[in-house]
Amino acid sequence: MLTLEHLTKTFKSGKGIRDVSFSVRRGEVFGFLGPNGAGKSTTIRHIMGFMKPDRGRAILNGMDTWKRQGEVQSGVGYLPGEIAFIEGMTGREFLEFLSGMQRVRDRERRERLIERLQFDADTPIRKMSKGMKQKVGIVAAFMHDPEVVILDEPTSGLDPLMQKAFVELVLEEKARGKTLLMSSHSFPEIERTCDRAAIIKDGAIVTIADIHELQRMQRKLFEVTFDTADEAAAFAASGLSVEWMDGNRVRVAVKGDYGRFAEETSKRRVRNIDLFTQNLEDIFMDYYDRKGAGA
Amino acid sequence: MSAALYKQMMRVNLKGFLNYAFGSAFYIFLMFWLYPGIAKNTEALDDIVATMPEGVGRAFSLNGFDSAEAFISGEYYGLILVLILAIVSVQLSTQLMARMIDRGSMAYLLSTPTTRVRIALTQACVLVSGLLLILGATTLAGFAGKAWLLGDRYAFDGGRFVLLNAAAFLMFFAVAGIAFLVSAASSDEKRALGLSGAIVFGFYSLDLLGKLGDGIAWMRGLSIFSLYRPGDIVGGEAFPRARLRAARGDRVSLLRGRHTGIQTEGSAALIRSSPAPSAARNCTKRAA
Repeated sequence: MLTLEHLTKTFKSGKGIRDVSFSVRRGEVFGFLGPNGAGKSTTIRHIMGFMKPDRGRAILNGMDTWKRQGEVQSGVGYLPGEIAFIEGMTGREFLEFLSGMQRVRDRERRERLIERLQFDADTPIRKMSKGMKQKVGIVAAFMHDPEVVILDEPTSGLDPLMQKAFVELVLEEKARGKTLLMSSHSFPEIERTCDRAAIIKDGAIVTIADIHELQRMQRKLFEVTFDTADEAAAFAASGLSVEWMDGNRVRVAVKGDYGRFAEETSKRRVRNIDLFTQNLEDIFMDYYDRKGAGA
Repeated sequence: MSAALYKQMMRVNLKGFLNYAFGSAFYIFLMFWLYPGIAKNTEALDDIVATMPEGVGRAFSLNGFDSAEAFISGEYYGLILVLILAIVSVQLSTQLMARMIDRGSMAYLLSTPTTRVRIALTQACVLVSGLLLILGATTLAGFAGKAWLLGDRYAFDGGRFVLLNAAAFLMFFAVAGIAFLVSAASSDEKRALGLSGAIVFGFYSLDLLGKLGDGIAWMRGLSIFSLYRPGDIVGGEAFPRARLRAARGDRVSLLRGRHTGIQTEGSAALIRSSPAPSAARNCTKRAA
């Protein structure tokens, strides 16, 4: 559906992207992760055909996005990273204008989206908060029911409730067979929606990973407080991987074998169990560190 | 051209267009209102002008006061309208391209199934429409002013007045074309504004300086504004064919300068035809 081949672009400042290649399958939700300034938006602008690559190309629906700009765009939804609307319009006027440009007549889907994201579309854009503008942008990206949706940091500015509503929207679109690519520096957001993710740092792809595999790789830390220090010591000696121990408290790392952990715990009197989740961020940071150490 | 974009851009910019159109119409009304008072003292005024150094009269287009359009061509078309339209050309062309690229709203336009060329062409049409609107309002205001304020008591050649406006339109079609090219080629709003402003007002200054002194008359040859001579039109020099040709983007034409009351006698002026209309075409290619 979407293929990037050795996409390279160097800006005057020396920054840019180098040899970015990956492909997104039809019906897949693909995450694009990296810290600020890593090249996420630059890559996305190439995918949208706004920039001419120095080398390589982006192919969407079988078409080179730079050479066939204007053709590729039908059936593509886009949410820019930094939203800038045309001045002097209300949200609804802007959406109406964009529908005209997209040559879409159907208003029903747009109205449903507005209702769903709960905002007053008749507010002048210059009076809108960041979150509200983001909502207008999300509606604009989805309202023409595109086959492919490219989202640049879609949840920035949204409150947790709206982030949840957005994730639901993405999952629905995925269930309807749409292809989505979303960039983010928020790992939990990608974790909840994506099948695979590419990680970019300093303009180059570090790795492309299967999210489910990463989730399986994810370690969980349990901190168990026992009645006595003896019980704690016995628990620690049972073969689980102990991270830390202090008096009657033991912190163990569990990866996959939850049954064994439950078994060992239930043998003793337990006062309390705390759970610490190692998030994907930590896993990704491992990737970064490994690469950094290698360099 | 994209109809939806054109409509929207006209809506966004209409207020600005109307402000300039209203201002220009009002000013021309004012000129017509003033003219009867001036007409009474034509001779005295002509004497005063005659005492000034020749260059000053040329530079500030003192074309004589014996007919309403001569007065207006000098006082309005020679100076104030030029400044107004220069500001509109520079500001609007920057707004229509560079600003939208700089601020990122261009991304939204490009994310729809509309090619870069079509977007640039549409924006150029908005620019030309703005100029047409302002000059159309000015022309209408001129005829209205003649009807209400001058009546049949004073000389006024309607045909020449229309030519005056047509020349101003073609001139600024070219000037706005240059500004639009600069705007389309830059990704930074401030740089586009600075550069196109420097080019347009640089041209204007060269023309003005060239008119002031005979020794530096060659400076006019460097300026596109030397092609714009409202005084010639009302002076009965008709509509210089070279100017029309220049607006079409022909190469170079050599014109003999003739005495028109403001031109120096027999000075050969090398007139470079304006590259601007082709520049307007190029800029859409550039953007592509």
